[in-house]
Amino acid sequence: MTTQVGTAALEKVRAEYLNRFDIHQRIQHIGLALSFIVLVLSGLPLKFPAAGISQWWVAFWGGVEVTRAAHRIGAYVMVLVSVYHVVYLLYTVIILKRPFPIRMIPSRKDIVDFYQDLAYSFGLRKEKAVYDRYNWREKFDYWAIFWGVPVMAGSGFILMYPVFVTQFLPGWIVPAALVAHSDEAMLALTWIFVVHMFFSHLAPGVFPMNTSIFSGKVSRERYRREHTLEYERLTAENTGDTQGGEKKEQKK
Amino acid sequence: MPLGVLIGGAILILGAGRSSALDENQCLACHGNSSLTKTDPSGRVISLYVSEELVNIAAHRFIDCTTCHTGDPHAVETPLTKLSLAERCGQCHEYQYKVHLESVHGQQLQQGNPDVATCVDCHSLTGSPHAVIRVLEYKAPAFKKNIGETCAKCHGDPELMGNYGIVERVYESYMRSFHGKAIQLGTYEVTQIDKATCTNCHGVHDIKSAIDPSSPVAGLESLAQTCEKCHAGAGVEFARGFLGHREASPENIAAVYYAERFFTVLLITVLGIGAIIVVSSGIRYAINRWKE
Repeated sequence: MTTQVGTAALEKVRAEYLNRFDIHQRIQHIGLALSFIVLVLSGLPLKFPAAGISQWWVAFWGGVEVTRAAHRIGAYVMVLVSVYHVVYLLYTVIILKRPFPIRMIPSRKDIVDFYQDLAYSFGLRKEKAVYDRYNWREKFDYWAIFWGVPVMAGSGFILMYPVFVTQFLPGWIVPAALVAHSDEAMLALTWIFVVHMFFSHLAPGVFPMNTSIFSGKVSRERYRREHTLEYERLTAENTGDTQGGEKKEQKK
Repeated sequence: MPLGVLIGGAILILGAGRSSALDENQCLACHGNSSLTKTDPSGRVISLYVSEELVNIAAHRFIDCTTCHTGDPHAVETPLTKLSLAERCGQCHEYQYKVHLESVHGQQLQQGNPDVATCVDCHSLTGSPHAVIRVLEYKAPAFKKNIGETCAKCHGDPELMGNYGIVERVYESYMRSFHGKAIQLGTYEVTQIDKATCTNCHGVHDIKSAIDPSSPVAGLESLAQTCEKCHAGAGVEFARGFLGHREASPENIAAVYYAERFFTVLLITVLGIGAIIVVSSGIRYAINRWKE
């Protein structure tokens, strides 16, 4: 009896949620987030070495040798996750023959959406922009990482092995790498802690956090509201569909 | 056996903290008085005070006063000059004294320049020869972590350095470098020993002006050899990446200068847009809620 009720309730819940991210995407996000946090915690004191809190924090870890090791481990994990993502992408496209995830590519609509959202915020429009699978903020975050990880990994490698690198490349590459590493890190850090924090944690409707990237699921109601165009496409093709997302695109 | 342990323990416990300086002739009975002064023929008042507190922790606390104050100590000409002070140290520290006289500081010292650093300026807690402490004590001005600051007492003074044509802000630029960061973030533990500070590149007692051809940092070739002391395999190209205690500029490693400019513009643009969308969305959310 209880089992039957339980199953029924579960089915109801299932029907109310749509899959948005598969297990690989969720793992990639967790790996990226964790490695990012470790990299910030172990790297930030280097930016402000004269600050008492930096010196206390590094001593808390057990010295610069420890934060250096932690920073490298964080970097290896981040690079690994990035490689995993690219391999996953190629695998789904080449082996599984899924369509290339074209909706992640920035388009003219993103510029229009950006303008419309800004106009909405400033009270010049009544409605927000209507998004497809990824909105312009999500695309910006994604492509910022596509630019940022190579910059950080490349410059970080130069800083790790300056003697080796200067056997092939000119000497200025080392101080230039330091500038790139330091500034790009501050850019990523500030962006994540201001913009990402705001839209994925603090904004109304998501507070305290938008869990979809961890659970992979988005409620039907939220999907309809936040990714209207994709939602309409999904429901038009297959009413009552519970798969959604990438799987859906496969059928096209 | 138990008696031996007891006595040994008693010596350890009772002896701890008892490190008063060797003072065979009871000099400190008078000179330990902080108001003790004398007036020289020109009418100048000179303090004759020796801080017992400092002399008790000094490196030479077990060397009697008369080792340095030879002959009749009361007949000695005071105060000592910087050169005569160094000479005094050189009576025992012969090698360091000889090398010091060949250094840029020592050369000037012999010409009577009062600006330059000599023994006590880097080795004494207070500048007094009675407060010289060993290099491996963490409070020592010549302890690895403190060397940068010790050099900066003079080399961080733009006015003083200007007199010698040294315009580079050597201390600040060092502290910005990875070597300086490692020193600042490092502890006072002995692992600090392998981190580079002023003396690792410029020399210690034999320190030379950076434009002196015999300096370890003069010219790319010798600079590279100096880098190579720690960075195994470092070549000239590696040394070429050093900004030379200066900011990057179109003349000084232009690539770094333009990288800085590029990232500054990128940061301002991206974070500016980020701030606008966050603030405007936040205000919009607040207005929406208020209207409800």
